[in-house]
Amino acid sequence: MSAGNQTNENVDDRDIIVIKDMNKWYGNFHVLKDINLTVKKGERIVVCGPSGSGKSTMIRCINRLEQFQRGSLTVNDVEMIDDVKNIEAIRREVGMVFQHFNLFPHLSILDNLTLGPIWVQKKSKQEAEAIAMNYLERVKIPDQAHKFPGHLSGGQQQRVAIARSLCMAPEIILFDEPTSALDPEMIKEVLDVMVELAEEGMTMICVTHEMGFAKKVADRVIFMDGGEIVEQNTPHEFFDHPETDRLQLFLSQILQH
Amino acid sequence: MSAKEFKPLPAQPAPVTTTGPVAWVRDNLFSSAFNIAATIIIAASLVAALPGMIDWLFISANWSGVTQDECVKDGACWVFISAWSQQIFYGSYPTDEIWRVNLSLLLLTAVIASSFLLSDRLRNKISIPAFLLLPFVCLLLLDGSMIGLPPVTTDLWGGFSLNVLLAAASIIIAFPFGFLWALGRRSEMPFARSVSVTCIEFFRGTPILALFFMGSVMLPLFFPAGVTVDKLLRVWIILILFMSAYMAEVFRSGFQAIPNGQYEAADSIGLGYWQKTLLIIFPQVIKVSMPNILATFVMVFKNTVFLLVIAVPEMLQVIMSALSNSNWLGGHAIEGYLFVGFIFWACCFSMSLLATTIEKKLDTSHKN
Repeated sequence: MSAGNQTNENVDDRDIIVIKDMNKWYGNFHVLKDINLTVKKGERIVVCGPSGSGKSTMIRCINRLEQFQRGSLTVNDVEMIDDVKNIEAIRREVGMVFQHFNLFPHLSILDNLTLGPIWVQKKSKQEAEAIAMNYLERVKIPDQAHKFPGHLSGGQQQRVAIARSLCMAPEIILFDEPTSALDPEMIKEVLDVMVELAEEGMTMICVTHEMGFAKKVADRVIFMDGGEIVEQNTPHEFFDHPETDRLQLFLSQILQH
Repeated sequence: MSAKEFKPLPAQPAPVTTTGPVAWVRDNLFSSAFNIAATIIIAASLVAALPGMIDWLFISANWSGVTQDECVKDGACWVFISAWSQQIFYGSYPTDEIWRVNLSLLLLTAVIASSFLLSDRLRNKISIPAFLLLPFVCLLLLDGSMIGLPPVTTDLWGGFSLNVLLAAASIIIAFPFGFLWALGRRSEMPFARSVSVTCIEFFRGTPILALFFMGSVMLPLFFPAGVTVDKLLRVWIILILFMSAYMAEVFRSGFQAIPNGQYEAADSIGLGYWQKTLLIIFPQVIKVSMPNILATFVMVFKNTVFLLVIAVPEMLQVIMSALSNSNWLGGHAIEGYLFVGFIFWACCFSMSLLATTIEKKLDTSHKN
């Protein structure tokens, strides 16, 4: 398994996400302050920070689950503006995996996976099902295809959720604390899938508290607090030589046990 | 390193005193002094009242005959019901054309049955369009003039079949309307929202009787001279609007039960507004709203008897005019009203059973 500080040969020079001076308010509360972030294609980024630091809000702005009020965001050369066409174009390229899986409970696993390919990409049912079965095999649960989400364990549901976003063949996948709602025994099966994905060269931004995962796969680790990016560095530098006292305090608290 | 082997304990049966009929009786009927007293009082009053009721309803009842003079025994005079049965069920619809009413009822039954028997995909393709077409097909069939059958004017329609068909036709049309109003009420567009809120609050805040009077007496005053809109059609529209307002609120509470994550997941795979609404949200809203949707159905069905105040000859109206018929002045009100009550109860109860079936069917036990 590759160490995080080893160079990632999948990264190419193209900037796939460019965030410039992004600011966001909830009413009068300033949640994101002057966020600047550029992500290259193939790059794996882990975002961490205390709760309320704006890390989820930031990645949710990337596919416009949240709107920002100032600054600019460009995904795959499409600028995020108030135009349905642009929003849809960006959402087609950005997959997302949620903390609470958010599978569609009234649809079977297979239907959960084929919904996007059929209705958004206008693929035929056979084609969509072939794609879906392929990804279900990748996440190692093809035998659950005809069950409903409620019949699956949390870890299995999260793997289905990952497969669901992969079915849309996105350029980027955003992970919003994908293991925070899981039992300890299930975290590993989800992380394994994510590590595999990272090794295949998927561009990923993960908000997570799994520092082992960050060390293993991240090209860059970002620390956020109070709505701003406090520090970003390679995993090696990030964990071994934190520059700011805030990050030192954070690391000492989470790595204690 | 050798580890100690972990052996799970086998499961054991529950103690006998906590399951089975004896335990049920003890828990439910004799669990406390108050419960024991209530059980005894209820059992005693049943013993006192039931034999008399059964005797009057069945044993000494008069079952055969055609006039009230044949009601010689002490019990109920069911002859009254059988003599008037055609009017009770079909109103003044011409006897030779009654097959058209029966065919309409049959179509309704067939469409309802199809939504239970067909697979999911066929249901969406066949049953839903069939439901939406049904009211208009029945309208053409019952009226007849547009499809070359002898015309039957709406003042002749009546009886229980009118209650059923009118309620069904209103429910079917109100369903999409109510859903649109509910969407409108949640919409971020000020125009859609204010129109929806106004409609919902007006029709929900006005008693149905007042609406019927408005429809039958007031509305015609607004039509230009010479234009008449059929009374039954006006009543139908009022029922649709009234029902839509209630359905809109039922759907709205359903919408609120859907977690935000469902919208976000739909957005994140790139579904558009209508795809998201119809494919993801609507099926889940229907599922959580099912008990309330059914309660609204039952309410509208029962509300159709209020039509008697504007002299639409629905079932109760027929019974009341039969009671004042000079050949039947022997006081058969109890039989008449009991019969109406029984028919409505039987229909509403079967709708409840149907709803339980639907709920079980929809419940794929995926409660998160």
